[in-house]
Amino acid sequence: MQKYIIRRVLINIPVILLVATLVFFATSVLPGDYVLQRLTSNDSIENSTPAQREKHLADVRADLGLDDPVVIRYFKYMGNLARLDFGNSFANGDPALTPFRDGIPYTAQLGLMTLFVAIVTSIPIGILSAIRQDSWPDYVLRVFSILALAMPNFWVATMLLLYIVRWSLWEVPITTHPLLWEDPLASIRLFGIPAVAGGIASGAGIMRLLRSQMLEVLRQDYIRTAWAKGMRERVVITRHALKNAMIPVITSIGLTTAAIIGGNVVFESLFNIPGVGFKILDAIRARDIAVVQSFVIVIATFIVFVNLGIDLLYGLFDPRIQYS
Amino acid sequence: MAQQQSAIDLPGSTGIPRSLSDRPFMVRLLVHSGRFMVSKPLGGFGVIVIALVVFAALSADLISRYDPTESFVVDKPACTAEQVKQIAVVGDPPGRTIETHPPIDVCFDPVLAEIAQDEPLLRLELTTKSPDRIQTGKRTLISESPSADHWLGTDLSGRDLWSRIIYGSQLALVIGLGASLVAVVFGTLLGIVSAYFGGSIDMVVQRLMDSFQAFPPFILLLLLTQTVDNPSKWLLAVFLGIVGVALVTRIVRSAVLAARQEVYVLAARTIGAHDVRIMLRHILPNIFSPIIVVFTSSIGAYILAEAGLAFIGLGDPVAISWGKMVEEGRRLGPTKPLMALFVGSALTVTVLGFNLAGDALRDVLDPRLRGRGGRAGF
Repeated sequence: MQKYIIRRVLINIPVILLVATLVFFATSVLPGDYVLQRLTSNDSIENSTPAQREKHLADVRADLGLDDPVVIRYFKYMGNLARLDFGNSFANGDPALTPFRDGIPYTAQLGLMTLFVAIVTSIPIGILSAIRQDSWPDYVLRVFSILALAMPNFWVATMLLLYIVRWSLWEVPITTHPLLWEDPLASIRLFGIPAVAGGIASGAGIMRLLRSQMLEVLRQDYIRTAWAKGMRERVVITRHALKNAMIPVITSIGLTTAAIIGGNVVFESLFNIPGVGFKILDAIRARDIAVVQSFVIVIATFIVFVNLGIDLLYGLFDPRIQYS
Repeated sequence: MAQQQSAIDLPGSTGIPRSLSDRPFMVRLLVHSGRFMVSKPLGGFGVIVIALVVFAALSADLISRYDPTESFVVDKPACTAEQVKQIAVVGDPPGRTIETHPPIDVCFDPVLAEIAQDEPLLRLELTTKSPDRIQTGKRTLISESPSADHWLGTDLSGRDLWSRIIYGSQLALVIGLGASLVAVVFGTLLGIVSAYFGGSIDMVVQRLMDSFQAFPPFILLLLLTQTVDNPSKWLLAVFLGIVGVALVTRIVRSAVLAARQEVYVLAARTIGAHDVRIMLRHILPNIFSPIIVVFTSSIGAYILAEAGLAFIGLGDPVAISWGKMVEEGRRLGPTKPLMALFVGSALTVTVLGFNLAGDALRDVLDPRLRGRGGRAGF
C-alpha cells in the first residue's frame, strides 16, 4: 500500500513537469506578446517617434525577460519552478499566483454548488430509476437525463437568466457577484443559475452511470441471498447494492471535483464571476504568460493528486481491491 | 434463438429465405439498418436526426429561403404631421442638446432627411441612435418576431434566423466530424504504437497522455485557439481533435494490449510479417469496434465545446455558429428570448442525435463499455 502510494506520487512528478513544458511552449508560440497586447495602446509611447517606441518596447521586454531565446527562457523557467517560484505577473508585478488566489473562492463556490446540485439530483434518481426499472418514472427520468446531456449548459444558463429576468422572479446581482459568506441570499440568486445549469448536466451523466451499475449489481447472487435472508429493502439497496455500484460513480464524481478548480470559463464569463476561469481567460488574452503557466501547473497538480486520492478511496468502498 | 438461426442458414432448406450473406450489398445494408432501428429505437431516432442535419447542411442553399448574411430592411412609413414637427424641433437651433424621440426611428420624411444632410448635429444624433436610416428611409428588421416571411424571426442585424440556423448546421458537422476524425486518427496511431511496442515507448507516450489529461481541457483549447489570430473552422476542428487525442489513445491502447496477445498476431509474426504490417493488417481491423464507438460518441461533445467557445467570442469569427447565435440571442435581452430558444434547441437536437446514435452503436459493437461513457469531455 505504502509502496503503491510512493510509486504513484513518483509517476506524477514527470507528468507535472511535462504539463509545465507543454504550457511553456504553448504560451511561447502565442502570436504577439504582453508588450504588444498592452503597452502599444499606452498614450505616453503613442506620441513618440517610431524609433523611441521601439526602444521603449525593447526595454520593457528586457525588463520582463522576454528578449531571451526560447530555450534560455525555458531553462530559467524550469529552474524557477524547481524552487516553486512561479514568477511575477507582467501586468502588475504581483506574484503570478495572486489572481489564482483571488479567483479560487468564487470558482470553489460555483464548483461546489454545481457538485451539490449534481449529487442531490443524480444519486436518488439513479437508484430509483434502477430499482423501478421500466416503470414510467424510469422512462421519464431516462429521457430527461438523455436531454440534459445534450443541452449545452451555457444555453440552459442563458435561458434561465433570460426567463428569470423576464418574469421578474428575482434580481440577479450580476455586477456585484457576492460570495456566500458575504451575502448568502444574493449569492444564491447569482450562483444558483449556473450551478443548476451545470449541475443537471453532470448529474445526468452520474445518474446514467449509477443506474446501469445498479442494474448490473442487482442481478448478482449476493443480492438474491440478501433478499432470501429476509432483509429489508432499504438494507439490500443501500448496504449491498449501492456500495458495490458506487465505485465507477466515485470516479466520475471525483473527476468532476478535480475539474472544479480549473473554473468554468463559459459560466464565469457569462455571469461576470471573477473566478479562476475568468482570470485565466484574461491572462491568455493579455499574454500574461507567467500567470497562465502558474495557473495551469497548479490546476494540473491538483488534478493528478485528486485522481490518486480517488484510486485510494476505492479501497474503502471495496476491500477486494488490492494495491500493488 | 441461436438454433433457429442456424436452421435458416442451412443450404437447401426449401421455403426458407436464403442466408442474408448471399444477398446483394444494398439489401444487406437495408436489412441490417432495419434491424438496428427495431432493436434500438432511440439509436434509430438519433440516426434520423443526423440524416436531417446532414441534409440541412448539404442542401442549405435550397432550404434556407434567404441568404444568411443578408440584413433585411423595410421601407419606413411616411411620418405624420405630428412626428414631422417633433423631428424638426430637434435640429432647429444648432448647438442645443438634442433629445430624440421614438418617431425618428419609425418614420421617414424625405424633406427632413434633406435637412439632416446639412445639419451636422441632427445627422450625428440620428446616426448614433439609428445608423444609416435617416438617409435611406429604410428600417432594418431587428429581432422581428416569427412571421410568414421569416419563420423564426430575425436576429440583431435583421438577418433571417431560419436561414442562419440551417447554415449553422454546416459548421456543427465540420467541427463534430472533423474534430472526431483528427482525434481518432492521431489517437489510434499513438495508441497502436504505444501498446504494440510497449517498454519505454509506451512509458513516454503514456506519461505524455497523462499530462494531456491533467491539462484542463477547456484551458488547453483556449491556448490552442489563441495560437493563431482568428482561427478558421478547419483549424478549430483540428484543435478540438488534439484535445481529444488522449482519450482515444487510452481506449485504443487497451484494445491493442488485448489484441496483440491473440493467436493470429503470433501466427503473423511466425511467418515473418514485419511490425507495420502486423499493426495495420492484423491488429487495426480487430480493434475497429472501439474506434468507431469513440468516434461517434465524441462528436456531440466536440459540437458542444465549439459552441461554448463561440459563445464566449473565441470561435471562427466569420462562420455562422450556433454558439455565437445563442450569445446574440442573449444580447437581445429578456423581452426577446425566442432567438436563444430556437438556436439552442437546434444545438440540443443535433447533439442529441449524435449521442443517441453513438450510444446505440456502442451497445451493439462494444457492450463492455455500456454506461461507462467513453465520450470526450470538456
